[in-house]
Amino acid sequence: MLASYLIGLREGLEAALVVSVLVAYLVKTGRSALLWKIWVGVGLAVAVSLAFGAVLTFGPRGLTFEAQEAIGGSLSIVAVCFVTWMIFWMAGNARSLAGELRGQIDSAAGGNPLALVVIAVLAVGREGLETALIVWSTTRSVTGTGTVDGLPTWEPLAGVALGLATAVVLGVLIYKGAVTLNLTVFFTWTGAFLVLVAGGVLAYGVHDLQEARFLPGLHSLAWDVTSWYDASSVYAAVLKGVFNFSPQTTWLEATVWVLYVVPVMFLFLRAVRRRPTGAVRPADPTPTKETA
Amino acid sequence: MIRTLSTRRSRVPLAVLALAPLALAAACTENADPGDSGDPRVLAVASTADGCELSSTEAPAGTLTFDVTNAGDDVTEFYLLDSDGLRILGEVENVAPNTSAKLTVNVGAGDYVTACKPGMVGDGIRGDFTVAASDDDGSAPSASDSELVEQAQTNYAAYVEDQADQLLTGTTEFAALVKARDDEAARALYPQARQHWERIETVAESFGTLDPEMDLREADLEPGQEWTGWHVLEKDLWPEDATDYTALTDEQRATLADKLVADTETLVELVNAPDMTYPIDFIANGSRGLLDEVATGKITGEEEAWSHTDLWDFQANVDGARVAYEGVRPIVLENDADLAAELDEEFADLQTLLDAQREGDGFVSYDTVGEDQRGELSDAVNALSEPLSRLTAAVVA
Repeated sequence: MLASYLIGLREGLEAALVVSVLVAYLVKTGRSALLWKIWVGVGLAVAVSLAFGAVLTFGPRGLTFEAQEAIGGSLSIVAVCFVTWMIFWMAGNARSLAGELRGQIDSAAGGNPLALVVIAVLAVGREGLETALIVWSTTRSVTGTGTVDGLPTWEPLAGVALGLATAVVLGVLIYKGAVTLNLTVFFTWTGAFLVLVAGGVLAYGVHDLQEARFLPGLHSLAWDVTSWYDASSVYAAVLKGVFNFSPQTTWLEATVWVLYVVPVMFLFLRAVRRRPTGAVRPADPTPTKETA
Repeated sequence: MIRTLSTRRSRVPLAVLALAPLALAAACTENADPGDSGDPRVLAVASTADGCELSSTEAPAGTLTFDVTNAGDDVTEFYLLDSDGLRILGEVENVAPNTSAKLTVNVGAGDYVTACKPGMVGDGIRGDFTVAASDDDGSAPSASDSELVEQAQTNYAAYVEDQADQLLTGTTEFAALVKARDDEAARALYPQARQHWERIETVAESFGTLDPEMDLREADLEPGQEWTGWHVLEKDLWPEDATDYTALTDEQRATLADKLVADTETLVELVNAPDMTYPIDFIANGSRGLLDEVATGKITGEEEAWSHTDLWDFQANVDGARVAYEGVRPIVLENDADLAAELDEEFADLQTLLDAQREGDGFVSYDTVGEDQRGELSDAVNALSEPLSRLTAAVVA
């Protein structure tokens, strides 16, 4: 039961965090009207993942390991691009907000009508297919298929469901906490936090590609803490779920993580801390031409 | 810069999302159910706290499905690794206790390592795994294939019935000679009658007690077990090499001879039963099984310890193996033409060596065959045994 629960928690945590930060951001900047885009994206990702998972689990055809790795790896890298964009988008708006140019930002956000939907789709969908496969394979246990003794049991399914529910609850709590923070603090902390999350996703994607042998060095470990690290524990589920921390991290993973996190964090903090420049930077009606 | 990024990036991933279902469709593979059929490409894996049991450690090349059931208390993972134990060919993670998950992976012929990782840490519980060559990629046999299979099965059934009938004729005549104490004629008939037995030995062996009752050797006698069948009479007909041997009485001879005939009648009845069928893998395995008989009994001269007519049995085993192989050869030609060519050659080489030992319409006594010649024969048997071990995979593929 606990084991199933931690799987659900781990799989759901990252998506819950990204979505809750996004929702908190929209609410804080007074654009609750755009929230539907997030929910459409979440709904879309959940529905597509569950549908594909069901087809692959119960239908006549399954997915090869190679295909699973390719999907997981490529979606991870696309997700990193989007979360990075989201971080800077929020940071840029934060500056503009501080310069009280709210109206122009709204139109800028309106210029990417699908961007919010896509972020939500990726945040949920990146791990979505894998999670859906886990959910559906545990539903087979309810009918006694695939269980050790052939007897039906609700336990694994209930565990995974409770784990996912916990992730959602944590997301809600983070949202509630986040909306009470002052704007600058909120943007700084959530952004910095998301840089670490995205770094983890990138490292995870690299690990996938190493496992599938698109990249070398799977067995050149930067560190291996498995001697004292309990991968079946609650803290491991949280560290894995939030930061994609792996107790056996390859040099390539560690290097990519550092190469991503250090410059992005630097650029992000510089962007957040820059003095408001609203007076010298008027709103541009054609933002695509702007090069700051 | 920030806004430029936003507009540029938003389009590429959308295209990726749009393409994802296509990629999924292209990467799909057949789902297989380990419960039904004897599909050799579907393997059950039972992962426990300290164990990793596979339903088979061998499979033919193609799309393999591992159905991993977690019987432990921790979340487990299952890996298929290359023979170096490092390269990952496939993995399935997050298998919760008391659930199962499937790993589907395309695997070529070769040696591999399987590993279960209960608790998701460490190197896991490892085991060796062998994938046999096959031209097939796991798709269902074509229509012409199933025709070939059906023909091979029909032909083999006819061969077994024919040999069993000839065995009964020979055995009945042999029993009469034994009872009449016409030992010289009985000795001459003994190896001739037995060759029909040796040609279908693997079939006879599948009928439980029939084989030990008819063909048990003295050396294999268990304490307290009653010795019956061919070899008791063999010893009585060739008592020269035996020490402290008490000849059988007329009564004992009659009882043993009658039982041998009765058992042969049972065998004929069993192989002629309407529901008696020979699955294609049974035929292919039987071919190898007969050659193994040669290696373990005939080469050593243990089979016919008193009569030294081992070479007759040798030839009969090889005949049976070749007939079984030739029955499935059309299928092998389709699936693995190289293997067929290799088997043709090795069968011919072995036959050449055997022919060199012929004398009259039979063979020389095996005790006159020197160590060098035995070694040559043994080498030829081994050379044939290796490709023959790949026959079943090539046929079932």
